[in-house]
Amino acid sequence: MLRLRRSEAGDTGRGLGMTGTAGGGPERVAPSSVEELAKVLKSATEEQRVVNVVGGGTRQGYGSPPPPDLVLETSGLAGIEEWDPDDLTVTVGAGTQVAELEAALAERSQTAVLPEVPGRSTVGGVVSAGVSSLRRARLLGTRERMLEVRLVTGDGRMIRGGGRVVKNVSGYDLPRLVVGAFGSLGVITSVCLKLWPIPPASATVTIDDIEASQHVTRPLAVLERRGVIEVFLWGTPEEVAASSGRLDGVAVEGLRWPPDPQGAYRWSVRVPPASTSAAVGRLPTGWDYLAVHGAGDIRAASADSDGADGLRDWVESSGGALVVMDAPDGELDGLDPWGSPPPGLEVQRRLISQFDPGRVINPGRLAGGL
Amino acid sequence: MNLRIRLANNRSFAGSIQRPHLPQLPSSFVSLVGDLRHVLSEDRVLEEPVELYLYSRDASLMQGQATCVVFPHTTEEVADVVRVAERHGIPIVARGAGTGLAAGAIPVDGGIVLSTTAMNQIDIDVANRTAWVGAGVINLDLSKEAEPFGLTFAPDPSSQSACTIGGNVANNSGGAHCLAEGATTSHVLGLEVVLAGGETLVVGGQAPDMPGLDLKGLMVGSEGTLGVVTRALVRLLPIEADVRTLLLDFEELEGATRTVSEVIASGLVPAALEIMDQKMTTAVENWLRAGLPCDCAAILLAEVVGEPEAVEAEAALISRIGRANGARDVKVARDEAERAILWKGRKSAFGAVAQVSPNYYLHDTVVPRSRLVETMEEVQAIADRYGLDVYNVFHAGDGNLHPLMAFDASDPVMMDKVHKAGEEMVAACLSRGGALSGEHGIGLEKRDMMRADFTELDLDAQARLKEAFDPDGIFNPAKVLPEGSRCFDFGGVRREIPDGAWV
Repeated sequence: MLRLRRSEAGDTGRGLGMTGTAGGGPERVAPSSVEELAKVLKSATEEQRVVNVVGGGTRQGYGSPPPPDLVLETSGLAGIEEWDPDDLTVTVGAGTQVAELEAALAERSQTAVLPEVPGRSTVGGVVSAGVSSLRRARLLGTRERMLEVRLVTGDGRMIRGGGRVVKNVSGYDLPRLVVGAFGSLGVITSVCLKLWPIPPASATVTIDDIEASQHVTRPLAVLERRGVIEVFLWGTPEEVAASSGRLDGVAVEGLRWPPDPQGAYRWSVRVPPASTSAAVGRLPTGWDYLAVHGAGDIRAASADSDGADGLRDWVESSGGALVVMDAPDGELDGLDPWGSPPPGLEVQRRLISQFDPGRVINPGRLAGGL
Repeated sequence: MNLRIRLANNRSFAGSIQRPHLPQLPSSFVSLVGDLRHVLSEDRVLEEPVELYLYSRDASLMQGQATCVVFPHTTEEVADVVRVAERHGIPIVARGAGTGLAAGAIPVDGGIVLSTTAMNQIDIDVANRTAWVGAGVINLDLSKEAEPFGLTFAPDPSSQSACTIGGNVANNSGGAHCLAEGATTSHVLGLEVVLAGGETLVVGGQAPDMPGLDLKGLMVGSEGTLGVVTRALVRLLPIEADVRTLLLDFEELEGATRTVSEVIASGLVPAALEIMDQKMTTAVENWLRAGLPCDCAAILLAEVVGEPEAVEAEAALISRIGRANGARDVKVARDEAERAILWKGRKSAFGAVAQVSPNYYLHDTVVPRSRLVETMEEVQAIADRYGLDVYNVFHAGDGNLHPLMAFDASDPVMMDKVHKAGEEMVAACLSRGGALSGEHGIGLEKRDMMRADFTELDLDAQARLKEAFDPDGIFNPAKVLPEGSRCFDFGGVRREIPDGAWV
């Protein structure tokens, strides 16, 4: 039986700078430079102190890591380092808030295609947790934004992978490997992301039947929540008007993105795209949900965990995963946060040990207890 | 086996190879071939000198040395071959069609060349728009198989009628249409791989974000150095409702590149934006008679896809931006036949140069798109300095250059100039914030240039990553990372490149 507890780090205040906290909680550090961060990690490895990394603190519910000795805040590594709109690339510090980045990019009609309703999420946090945009069926997920990553390994080495151009095959693909790795390869300090231009027109069309969405070849998104189905369109005014006409629904101008459902328990249901509707039908009674059609990505929330076991059996047998994103303090009786261990645990373990030899960053947080 | 045939000009090998008298084979070799024939069959292990010669090359100018060539049919057989190789301490070099330009598929100092061509099953899942595809399936064959279902495989390297999916996965291949859709890695959802010890894994899957480290993503672009990919689960895209293909010609190259930038700044990401300079256009036109204008500095091939109303408006927009930047003429393909001719012209560019010159050598580098024009000017200046002919064809939307030098390799002085000029061109791109390779890979060709882009610590991390998968260095050794990348190298086999392996 695995214990699942909310990391203490996620609940406490922010902006404490370099000070440690009194009263037995973990020490909190907010390095203001990569070099400083490297020193912190090097000594953490030497002293075998367990480190948790916090950006906006919105994704602390994943996995079941042990309580940390040290909480590393990335707030000191924020800001846009380099952005040339003509190149459709931007390099940002890991601690930059997604909302701030997207607002800056939007001024030049560009987007990094990160989550639309990010709250306090940071770029580094979204990348580490592998969270993707609702536009993923059309523009693909966060991993496809990654062009370059700079990270500090568990033992304090400052390394880089990839490059600041939109196309690159030079060595192993570290930029994509860190997506969803929860810091197991190191603490991300900055990333270069591929941008997408925001076209002049957009619309949100409510339709009655999911089948109607087939009338548009490749919509920006088709979302479903509590029986409401919305098709999101963007493009030239001609394209949006034509697609909107084909859908025969109720159209409003602009993109009205819904937030992820909220509840004591939050879940991520991942299934083959064609099984999205079936998975929605299998959600236990009372679960709130937001389904991204065409991507097999369903975000759900519930008051309790009843029915999760049965849902997981079905999801896994159809080739997917049911992941716990957040749960109240305490135990999730018998429910592993990730489900069945993924294949290749041994090679993953060897890989992690090359980057975090002391296994100090978020140990045990990854699937399979890695 | 000591077979090092140094022959730079691949057009003249036929008939000119003397079959070397087979030397006394060491007993370990006999048992290697015997062991391989035991797990495969007699006829699926090649060891004749001519066969070994052919499989010691790829589409680069380099020459390796194969010990034997094997043709497994199944993943289990690949695992068997890996175990035999480990027992004999001999490397494995996986090979698709051998169209790679960076010498990624040549056995450097002996090794088993594992041809994937017999693993060519395609299994399409229409509802999920995915397909499980054998590593040996030819890229274009996949799209042909998918077409009746209204689906297509987006990555389309110029060599797509010959190159294999396994090779695409190994090199994270791109192509003209990866501007809007991304390169191979964006279209690989899962992989079946054979790792060290013959361990077989299926990683990734149809569902998104499968828990655990993204091993599948790491295998893509790893050039066969981490294991052998036997099957790939790929994403298929719906064929768009409509398409417009435009050809614009410019009196100044800068007009073409500025058009590319302004089109993207307008909020439009076309399916493709390709530029050819005058020299390349002329070579293609002389060969194919595609009706390309040869009296302009550059042509821009643009393609937009989507709903019929949309492509009409987008084509008009590109045309307008082009004319504002000095386009003399804008031709829109009227039907599929005209479109096919335009694309044939673009995709035959390298072949066209082969018609006018005995050899060519091209680099594949990337610069930020905003620095295309100045980079092109410097590439031309470098070529002029060495007295070389340079032809240009490039994925303008991505800033991905392919400067191509035409020459006669039988002249050793020329060969040396080409290599030096090539290195300067790569350096010119790196100094502008570019990358070593956009889509062809590092292979053997560029591995020593990796030091120009990455620090010792960066390369050490990459070497550690390789070690985690392949501690004994069995899989495609000497590729991607320069020798001595591992900063604190204790033990492990170091395989030097023999002098004779280079051409």
